[in-house]
Amino acid sequence: MTVDAIITADVLDVPSSPAQTVHRRRPPSWGLAYALLLPSLLGLAAFTYLPVLRVAIDSLYVTPHGAGGVTRFVGLENFARVLGDPAFRQAALNNLVYAAGTVAPSVVLALAFALAVRRSTRFNAVVRTILFFPSLVPLVAAASLFFFIFLPGVGLLDYYLAKLGVSGPNWIGNTDVALWSIVGLTVWKNAGYYMLFYIAGLQNVPRDHIEAATVDGANAVQRLWYVILPALRPTTAFVVTIALIHMLTAVDHVVVLTKGGPSNATNLLLFYIFQEAHENFDTGKAAAATVISVAALLVVSLGSLRGMEAGSRREA
Amino acid sequence: MRLDRHVGPALIAAAVATIAFVWATPFLWTLVAAFRPESAGSADMASLLPDFTPTLANFRLAFESGDFGLYYVNTIIVVVGVLGVQLVTISLAGYAFARLEFPGRDVLFYVFLVQLMLVPSALIVPNLRTTVDLGLYDTLAGVMAPYFASAFGTFLMRQTFRGIPRDFEEAAAIDGAPWWAIVWHVLLPMARPGLIAFAIVSVTAHWNEFLWPLMVINDPANHTLTIGLATFTKGAEGAKEWGVLAAGTLLVMAPLAIVFVAFQRRFVESFVFSGIKG
Amino acid sequence: MHVIRRLGAGALAAALVLASSAAWAQTKIEFFFPVPVEGKLAREMTRLVKQFNDSQKDVEVTAVYTGSYDETKLKAQAAAKAGKPPSVVLMSANFNVDLKLAGDILSLEPFLAAEGTTREKFLGDFWPALHANATVDGELYGVPFHNSTPLLYINTTHFKEAGLDPAKPPRTWAELVDAAKKLTKRDGEKIERHGFMMPGGYDYLGWLMSALSMSNGGRYFNESYGGEVYYDTPSMLGAARLVEDLVYKHKVMPSGVVEAGGVSTAFFAGKASMVLLSTGSLSFIRENMKTPYDVAFVPRNVRNAVPIGGASLVMFKGQSEASQQAGWKFVRWLSSTDVLGGWSRFTGYFAPRKSAYDTAEMKEFITRNPDAKVALDQLAYAQPWFATYQTVAVRKALEDEMQAVMNGKKKAEQAVKDAQRKADELLRPYIDQTALKLP
Repeated sequence: MTVDAIITADVLDVPSSPAQTVHRRRPPSWGLAYALLLPSLLGLAAFTYLPVLRVAIDSLYVTPHGAGGVTRFVGLENFARVLGDPAFRQAALNNLVYAAGTVAPSVVLALAFALAVRRSTRFNAVVRTILFFPSLVPLVAAASLFFFIFLPGVGLLDYYLAKLGVSGPNWIGNTDVALWSIVGLTVWKNAGYYMLFYIAGLQNVPRDHIEAATVDGANAVQRLWYVILPALRPTTAFVVTIALIHMLTAVDHVVVLTKGGPSNATNLLLFYIFQEAHENFDTGKAAAATVISVAALLVVSLGSLRGMEAGSRREA
Repeated sequence: MRLDRHVGPALIAAAVATIAFVWATPFLWTLVAAFRPESAGSADMASLLPDFTPTLANFRLAFESGDFGLYYVNTIIVVVGVLGVQLVTISLAGYAFARLEFPGRDVLFYVFLVQLMLVPSALIVPNLRTTVDLGLYDTLAGVMAPYFASAFGTFLMRQTFRGIPRDFEEAAAIDGAPWWAIVWHVLLPMARPGLIAFAIVSVTAHWNEFLWPLMVINDPANHTLTIGLATFTKGAEGAKEWGVLAAGTLLVMAPLAIVFVAFQRRFVESFVFSGIKG
Repeated sequence: MHVIRRLGAGALAAALVLASSAAWAQTKIEFFFPVPVEGKLAREMTRLVKQFNDSQKDVEVTAVYTGSYDETKLKAQAAAKAGKPPSVVLMSANFNVDLKLAGDILSLEPFLAAEGTTREKFLGDFWPALHANATVDGELYGVPFHNSTPLLYINTTHFKEAGLDPAKPPRTWAELVDAAKKLTKRDGEKIERHGFMMPGGYDYLGWLMSALSMSNGGRYFNESYGGEVYYDTPSMLGAARLVEDLVYKHKVMPSGVVEAGGVSTAFFAGKASMVLLSTGSLSFIRENMKTPYDVAFVPRNVRNAVPIGGASLVMFKGQSEASQQAGWKFVRWLSSTDVLGGWSRFTGYFAPRKSAYDTAEMKEFITRNPDAKVALDQLAYAQPWFATYQTVAVRKALEDEMQAVMNGKKKAEQAVKDAQRKADELLRPYIDQTALKLP
C-alpha cells in the first residue's frame, strides 16, 4: 500500500484492517501496542507534530516586526515571498550542490577506507582511529580549526601550498570556492564515521561467496563489484540515509565559519530558516520556508527509507 | 602474479598512510599550535614542525576562559540522559512494530518516520516555544526532551527484532513467559549489537550538538561543551588567539580520544555482530 | 567537581538565607555580553562582574558571554521571546533603534527621574558623538560602555622599506592608494604582501563601508528617521568603487572576503602593511605586534568623518520591578568613571565618559601610549553609527552586495543599486506605518 493510500484510508475512516478482527479473538497486543508506543508518541507529538502544525499555521500569517505589529492572515503570500527570495533560491541550490558534494564522496570514501583497513592489524587500528576522529570533534570546534586552515596567506592550506609553489584561492571568502570548502570540511568530518558501518557490513559478507568467486577466477575488482557491493546494499542504504539527514540538518559550520556568506554563497536551507526567524524576525517567511524544506525532506526520506526497507526485506 | 601480490598491497598501504596523514593534519596542527607561544599569529604559525620552546600558557588561558570540567559534566548528563530514555522508548516501540499486530500499524510507522527529517534544529522556533511552555527553558532537560522519542532508533530496533528468528520467543511463550519477560530476557540480549550501534550514533550526535543547546541554554552553569568551545572561538571585532583555541579544542578532544582508542576494538566488534547491515 | 561544589555552596547559601531572620532579598539578574576582540576581554568582564558581586549584597549578576554583537542580539531577543529576558545586555550601540521599535528594551528615563537627574545632565559627561546612538526619539535607552572608531594601522617597518615616511601616514584616499601600491610586494603574478586589507565579514564590513562613505561626504542613513538609508548615492558609490578598485584595479587588496581575524593575523604575520580595523583591537594589537606599528585617522576623500562603534548597556523589558532596580544599579556601577577608564585601558576602546580622561591613570596611560591618543583625537570627527528599523537585515543588504563586489561578481554601480532596492523592501513595513501612513 502506498503512503497516500494508507493516509487516505485513514482520513476516510475506512477500516485499514479487515473487520474480522472484531470477531476474532482480539489479540491482547492491541492495547499493549499502543501502550508501548505511547511514550514515543508523546515525545513526537510535543516536539515534532505540534511544531509542524504551528509552523504550518504560522506560514499563513505575517507579523510585522515591531511593537505595533499586527498579525494578519496572508494565505500563501509568504510562500510566494520565499520562493521569490533570491537568498532562498540560492540556499536551495546550494543544498543540492552540497548534497552532491558530500553524500556521494563521503559514502564512497567510507567504503574505500573500510575496504582498505578491514583487517585487524595494528596499523589498521591506528588508521581507523585517525579516520574516525573528526566525528568526535564537535562541528563547532572543527569549524574553528578550519577557519585557521582556510586563512588566506598564513593558514595551513596556503602555507603548505606556498611551499609547493602554488597559491590557493580565498577558501571561504571567495564566492565560487566557499561552498566547496564547506563540502571539504563535511567530508573530512563524516567519512570516518560512515566507514565504521562499512567495516561492520564487510565482516558480514559471507565468506563462502567471496571464496566461490575467487575459485571462479574473479579478480579483486570483479569480486568487489559482483559479490561485495551487492552484499553491502543494506549498509549503503543506511549510510546514505544518515548522510542525507546530516546534509540537511547540520549547519553548525555555516553558523561558525561563514554565516551564509559571502553573498549567500554558503547559505543552506536550514541556515536560511534560522536567519529569517532570528535575525529578520520574519516568522511567516521562516515558517513558509520550513514547510517547503520539510516537504522536500519528506520526499527524500521516504525514498531512501524505501531503499532500506527493500534491502532488509531482501536479505531477511 | 607475484608482483601483484606484493606491489598491490604495498601501494594500497602507502595510499592509506598518505590519506591518514592528510586526515590527521588538522589534529597535528592543533597539537603543535596548542603549545606554541605567540598565540595571535606569525608568518610560520601554520608550521607543523615544533620549532619553538613549548609553553603551557595557552592551556592556562583556555582553562580560564571556560569551566571545562563543568561543560564536560553537562554534556555527559545530556548524552547519557538522552540515550537512557531513548533505549527504553525505541525498544518498546520497536518491539510493538516488529512483533505486534494492531490496526493502523503501518500508518503509524510512517508517521514515526516523519520525525527522521524533522530534527529539532529545523523546528527551532516552535520547539523553543514548546520548551518554554513546558518550563524547560534554560535547563539541560530542555536540551534533552525533544530527543526522547527517536524514529531512527525505533526503525533500527524494528529491523533488528525482525531479524531475530521467532523460535526463541515462541519457546519462551510456550513456557508461559509474559511479553515483557520475553523482551527483556530473549529479545534485548540478542539485539544488543543493534542497541550498541544506535548508542554510538546517538552519543556522537548529541555530543556534537550545537544549535539547539545554544538557543535553549543561557546560564553558564548549564553550558555544554559545544557552547563553551564556541564562546571562546569567537570574537566580534577581530583577532583570534589561535593557540588558546587549539588548546581548548585539545582539551575537548583528549578524553574522547582516549576513550575511543581504549574501546575501539569493542566498537568495531559490536558493529560486526549487529544487524547494522541494514 | 565544580558541579558538586556549586551544589554544595548553593545548598549552604540557601540554608543561610532561610535561617537568617533579616529579610533582604538578593536579586539575581543575568547580564549578556559580547566580546569584541578575544577571550581575554571575556575573562576581564567576568572578573569585573565578580568584583561587583563581591562589593555588595543586594544584587547578584550572572555574566553570560554570548559571542559576537549579532549573536548577542539574537540570544537576548530569543530569551525575551521565550519569556526569560536578560536584565542587562551589552548591546551594539546601533541596535537601540531596532530594539526600541521591536518593543524589547526599557526607556531609562524613569531611572534618571528617580535619581533626580535629567538626560542632559546624565549625558553631559559622555562624548557628544555618542549621544545620538544612546537616545531614541529623545529618550535615553542605552548607556554607552565602550566605544570605538575605525583606525588605520600601519606597519612602520614596511613603510621605511618602501621609501615612505611612517610619520606621514596616508591622509587622503589618493595617498592611501599610492602608499598601498608601493607597499605591495609581488613575486611575479603572486602577491607576497598586500599593501592594504580590510575585514569583509558581516557587521564589520557594514561599519567600514559607513566609514568610507562618510569620509566621502555621505551619511549612510537618516539619523532622525529609521526608515531611510542612502546606498544608491554618489558618496556610497564612490566608497564602493574605491574598494572595488583596491582589489581589481590597483591590485593591492586580496579578493574575496577576509574576516577580521584573518586581517589582524595577516598584519601580525607581516603579510599586510596597512589594515583598517577598530580601535577596539588596539590593545590586542599593541600586545601581539612584534614589529613597530603606528595608527592614523581613516583617510578622507571629501572630509574626515567616521562612525562610532562599540556597545551600550540596555535593559530588556519583561523583568520584574526588583530586577529592574538591580539591573540599573549594575548599569550605574559598570558605567562609572573608574570602571570605564580601567576597561578602556585594558581593551583599547575609548571610554565614553569625558571624566575618565581626567584621571591620573588615564593621563599617564595616554602619555605612554600615543596610539591611544590618536584614537581619541579622531573622536572630533565621529558621527553616529547607523541605526534603522531592522538594522541587521538592512545592513546585510549592503554587505551581501559589497561581498559580491569584492569577489568580482558585481560592479559597484550595480551593487549599490541592488542594495538600495533590497533595503527599501526591508524598510517597507516600517515606512508604511510611519512616513507613508497618510490620513
